[in-house]
Amino acid sequence: MEYSIGRRTFVGAGLAAFIAGHAAAQPVFRLGLTPVFLDNDAAVIDGLRRALSRGMGREIELVQRRTYQEITGLLLERSVDAAWLCGYPYLQHADLLDLVAVPQWRGSPRYQSYLIVGAEDGAEALSDLQGGTHAFSDPDSNSGYLVTATDLRRMGEQVEGFFSRSIFTFGHRNVVRAVADGLVRSGSVDGYVWEALAVIEPGLTARTRVIARSEWLGFPPVCARRDSLASEPVQALQTALMNLAETEEGQQALASLQLDGFQQADPALFEGIAVRMADLEP
Amino acid sequence: MKWFAPIPLSIKLPLLAAAMMVLVGTVASQQVLRSLAQVQDARIQELARMHVEGLSVALGPLVLRHDIWEVYDTLDRAAQGSEGRRMVLTAVADERGKVLAATDPRRVPMDSDIAALASDAVALDDLSVDGASNILSLLAPLTYQGRTVGQIATELDVADLLSERRQALLYLIAGNAVAIGFLSMAGFLAIRRMLKPVTTLARQMTETKGEPHPIPAADIPRGDGELARLARTYNSMVGAVAAKAEAERRLAERERFVALGRLSSSLAHEINNPLGGLLNATDTIRSYPDRPEVVRQSADLLDRGLRHLRDVTRATLDQNRMDPETRALTSDDFEDIKLLIQSEVSRLALDLGWSVDPAAVTGCSLTAGPVRQIALNLLLNACSAAGQNGCVGLMARTTDGNLSLQITNTGASMPQAALDRLLGDGPLLPGGGVGLRLVRDLAKTMGGAVCHAQENGVTRVTVTLPASWEARDAKG
Repeated sequence: MEYSIGRRTFVGAGLAAFIAGHAAAQPVFRLGLTPVFLDNDAAVIDGLRRALSRGMGREIELVQRRTYQEITGLLLERSVDAAWLCGYPYLQHADLLDLVAVPQWRGSPRYQSYLIVGAEDGAEALSDLQGGTHAFSDPDSNSGYLVTATDLRRMGEQVEGFFSRSIFTFGHRNVVRAVADGLVRSGSVDGYVWEALAVIEPGLTARTRVIARSEWLGFPPVCARRDSLASEPVQALQTALMNLAETEEGQQALASLQLDGFQQADPALFEGIAVRMADLEP
Repeated sequence: MKWFAPIPLSIKLPLLAAAMMVLVGTVASQQVLRSLAQVQDARIQELARMHVEGLSVALGPLVLRHDIWEVYDTLDRAAQGSEGRRMVLTAVADERGKVLAATDPRRVPMDSDIAALASDAVALDDLSVDGASNILSLLAPLTYQGRTVGQIATELDVADLLSERRQALLYLIAGNAVAIGFLSMAGFLAIRRMLKPVTTLARQMTETKGEPHPIPAADIPRGDGELARLARTYNSMVGAVAAKAEAERRLAERERFVALGRLSSSLAHEINNPLGGLLNATDTIRSYPDRPEVVRQSADLLDRGLRHLRDVTRATLDQNRMDPETRALTSDDFEDIKLLIQSEVSRLALDLGWSVDPAAVTGCSLTAGPVRQIALNLLLNACSAAGQNGCVGLMARTTDGNLSLQITNTGASMPQAALDRLLGDGPLLPGGGVGLRLVRDLAKTMGGAVCHAQENGVTRVTVTLPASWEARDAKG
């Protein structure tokens, strides 16, 4: 009898302690990551996580998925609290999403889309690539799909008809690999990613050549649901991002991402992407 | 194989042993290489099976979704991680045979036909390192969840395996060559040593002129082996041959003394007969010293009788001279023979026919001794065969440049045993004389021939002796 009562007392006490402990700690903040250029580098991801976690004073869980669509879906259904998206999916869901911050790269919150071919390829413009194979990054990527698709639309072409075959690699680095290895003739890639790779893996980018650069467009922003933008965790994230350059860990994370820092984002920054989206409308 | 026959046994056997070793070495090497090939085939098949099965698991859903990038990424990572770059190329196609991705996209572009790559490809179980090429092509179905969703074509670099095989072959050849060379030399020396008694025996039998010599005791192998017994048997045979020759020589000697005995009695007779006449003559001279005609007649009688005695004595001495006769034959030799058999002729009251062509006898330049021995032996034999009041004859003439001696006699024909001795080379039977065999041996030594004929109760023995080289040269 004493044994039975003792065991019940022990289990109940443990459960009470667990509930009390959980309530006392800050809830884990879940930040979605799209396949940005270094999503395959665990050290970079971990550095970013630790810097933000220290800045926010809570644990951060970085949630990675293969496609923009999956991350966007997680954000919309509140499975993640915020996500580092692309301007294109942000604008697709602008009614539900809002901007938390936008990175600064080379002193500006803007970047370009690059059209690349193999280093030995003689193509000089998009029009030279007709009938060839092409690699896109993601169907919801601005630089990795939208820019080339709208350029073709402006030329009166369709992606399906212009290229003999197009594939999605779901990663900007993969696009560079596909072109460099000769799997495809050309690719649409994030200009920031290509330039960062030129520093980290010059042997890879040296096997490719940029034949076209888009206009400067809004850098992929960090977004949250509009209805949770004012919430404490999101605000804490915003503050942590803005102050990232002020801590040593933050500087290391930014350096590994080759970014200058984060700044407040203005929706007008993404006007160029909106124009292209309008061009793609049937 | 005619060229092989003249090679000596001491070379032939080691050569055969070396050839057998080469054959055995070749067969053994073949077996080793075959085993190595089987091991390599099993190894390459196992490796390829693991490769295909691993890729099937990893790529199945990707091929099903036609996720080209993921297929390529998986292949690329697998290729970079593969040990020693055994798989030089891997291409994956969908169920229609269109390439989705390959580890070398430039060589095998997307959407190309995999059949072009896999034209000489074989199935997994047929994969074999056959040495024709450094690259093996494999085509295997890509199965996922029990159904074929695509194809995997792989090129495997087997240059190292072929190199390993070539190296094994070289090592085998070198090892076998050294082993066979060493063993062949050892076999050659061993067999040569074993055959040495045979070589010695052959040399003793062939290289010793005239008569065989026994093998020295030092050269006879120790123990009681076949070769030792053979050498001892050979030595026994050599001894037997020498003993036989010695026996024959003694027999001939005895025959010579037998003939001498017979002649001695004739000689006594020849001397005894005239002695009475000679003594009478001396008595007559003493009785009638004053009658010159009687003294002269008696002196003539004495002179004839003494001359006769001198001739008989000389002929006997010549016939029985112990030294070899090297003097050339003349017609006087036949007169001597006639004188020697005269007593036998008189005793048996024989009718002696005598025809000697002096020119033929001297023209042949033959040695006197053997011819005299032949004629005397045959005439004595003929006298004996003719019996009381029989007829005996001798005719010596030239036939085709050769001297032909023909001895005839009446009476009983020659018995078979005597014919065998005269005409054959068979062994002499005990009890018989050796006079006739001596005739045959002498005739053979001089290069002549003996013939025998029996016609109308007359036995005719003809001995043909070729003229000497000097005589032929003189004629030529």
